[in-house]
Amino acid sequence: MNVWKKMAAFAMAGIVSAGLFAGCGKTEGNQITVVSREEGSGTRGAFVELMGVQTEEGDKTTQNAEIANSTSLVQNTVSGNQNAIGYLSLGAYDSNLVKAVSIDGVAPTVENIKQGTYAVARPFLVCYREENLTDLGKDFMSFVLSEEGQKIVEEEGYIAAVDNAAAYTPSGLTGKLSLDGSTSVGPVMEVLAERYRALNPDVVIDIQQTGSGTGITAAIDGSCEIGLSSRNLKEEEIAKGLSYTAIAMDGIAVIVHKDNPADDLTQEQIRKIYTGEVTAWNELG
Amino acid sequence: MAKFRETAMRYVFLLSAVLCIACVGVICVYLLGSGIPTMFEIGLDNFFGTTWKPGSGSYGIFPFIVGSIYVTAGAILIGVPIGVLCAVYLAWFCPQKLYKVLNPAVRLMAGIPSIIYGFFGLTVLVPMIQSMTGTSGKGLLTASLLLGIMILPTIIGTAEPALRAVPRPYYDGALALGATHERSVFSVVVPAASSGLMSGVILGIGRAIGETMAVIMIAGNQTRMPGGLFDGLRTMTSNIVMEMGYSTGLHRQALVATGVVLFVFILLINLLFSLAKKKEGTE
Repeated sequence: MNVWKKMAAFAMAGIVSAGLFAGCGKTEGNQITVVSREEGSGTRGAFVELMGVQTEEGDKTTQNAEIANSTSLVQNTVSGNQNAIGYLSLGAYDSNLVKAVSIDGVAPTVENIKQGTYAVARPFLVCYREENLTDLGKDFMSFVLSEEGQKIVEEEGYIAAVDNAAAYTPSGLTGKLSLDGSTSVGPVMEVLAERYRALNPDVVIDIQQTGSGTGITAAIDGSCEIGLSSRNLKEEEIAKGLSYTAIAMDGIAVIVHKDNPADDLTQEQIRKIYTGEVTAWNELG
Repeated sequence: MAKFRETAMRYVFLLSAVLCIACVGVICVYLLGSGIPTMFEIGLDNFFGTTWKPGSGSYGIFPFIVGSIYVTAGAILIGVPIGVLCAVYLAWFCPQKLYKVLNPAVRLMAGIPSIIYGFFGLTVLVPMIQSMTGTSGKGLLTASLLLGIMILPTIIGTAEPALRAVPRPYYDGALALGATHERSVFSVVVPAASSGLMSGVILGIGRAIGETMAVIMIAGNQTRMPGGLFDGLRTMTSNIVMEMGYSTGLHRQALVATGVVLFVFILLINLLFSLAKKKEGTE
């Protein structure tokens, strides 16, 4: 009997103290909730590099940042929290859920990225070892970089990497092709593969979405023919014999809650938010 | 012929049993074999340190160990009183008609996939805590609340049969001595079933510490030491799942080593469970 009384008392104490804490917390309503991707994500890698969050001492993202392990979780978290800020691939940005802010006065649009005025953009790469590349692999890449392939890239909300690309003639090749890599590149690659199969019906294409790092490693050790990356390759990766081609450009949109009054942030402000130098919205001035 | 069949079947059964054990064995050998050398390669100081920054060579998982323990403790604090009292109600107070509804409902709870619980947490609990506290809404309290709910079916499922297994004469004897129904149940039946209840609680702990998908969505996943009730934290399981896809080299091995630490925790919990069971047997 005594045990149960004790347990009940503990439970009550827990509830009451939760209530007390709740009362105290209210004053901090202006605190920024920083939402980041996990370490090793291609999106995070590109974001911290472009925003200057990455210094020579490494990634300086504040330890207080919430970590979301997918694009959709970032978007969901920010859409449900008035004080949150996050970043994601422009192709995945949904203006019904959240608001993308302008950076240094430049709105994150396809036009601005093409002209190079919106600075936070990164390439989508395919990487491969010359000697591992089959005729089929070459043909698939020529499709991706052709007029048809680049049109699909634009339909999916990304920016074509090649202007005035040549038309593609189906080769009628057969065989199996394996791709592995970034979860950001994966969705657009699935669409490309589907259209390619419509033109060359006897081809089997296997796409694994495991992340940029894994895809690059797989392309190096030959366990897949073509690796997909949503960040630039590192020196040591190129040194291991990888060649690469950009198939698209993707902007990174910085997003806030729809009710957040901020429409325009400077790169410096975003850097300060992500390094934890600024922790409240009213400190931004 | 019949004899041959019997012998053959005996080997089939033996094979099945051996297969189970072999699986556990292989997992143990793989985990320990690849995890423990990693711990020494990283250095125990570093590995049990408080900074997790794989990009710059710091692999301290101590905040995640603390995170796992906090979240589990919170879940127990919330889930155990509700779970045990619910089991008592189902076993001793519930009218037959209501039981026919409640029992399947509890069973259904056990069958809901954890990602659905996570989504429930993200869309219902997080905004609720957010508006109550003005914080981001993700953190220890939210995770504890959700896990507290998730372990209910585990606790009830073990505790209810344990309460039913208490011999009827215990209860009748208490009544005969003049105790009321409530008093007989709480002072005689519940203590008699205590080791069974303990088993339920321990299984609940195991469920809470191993839960991953739901926790990722609502805990915040910060890599620093967890602070207060509303601070975000990261558990060992979420650390493994979040970074496995992107990690390479030593980073990946460090995640396997995190798995080893988790495995040791689960082993300890199972050990406790069998001790509780043993006690039940001797009583």
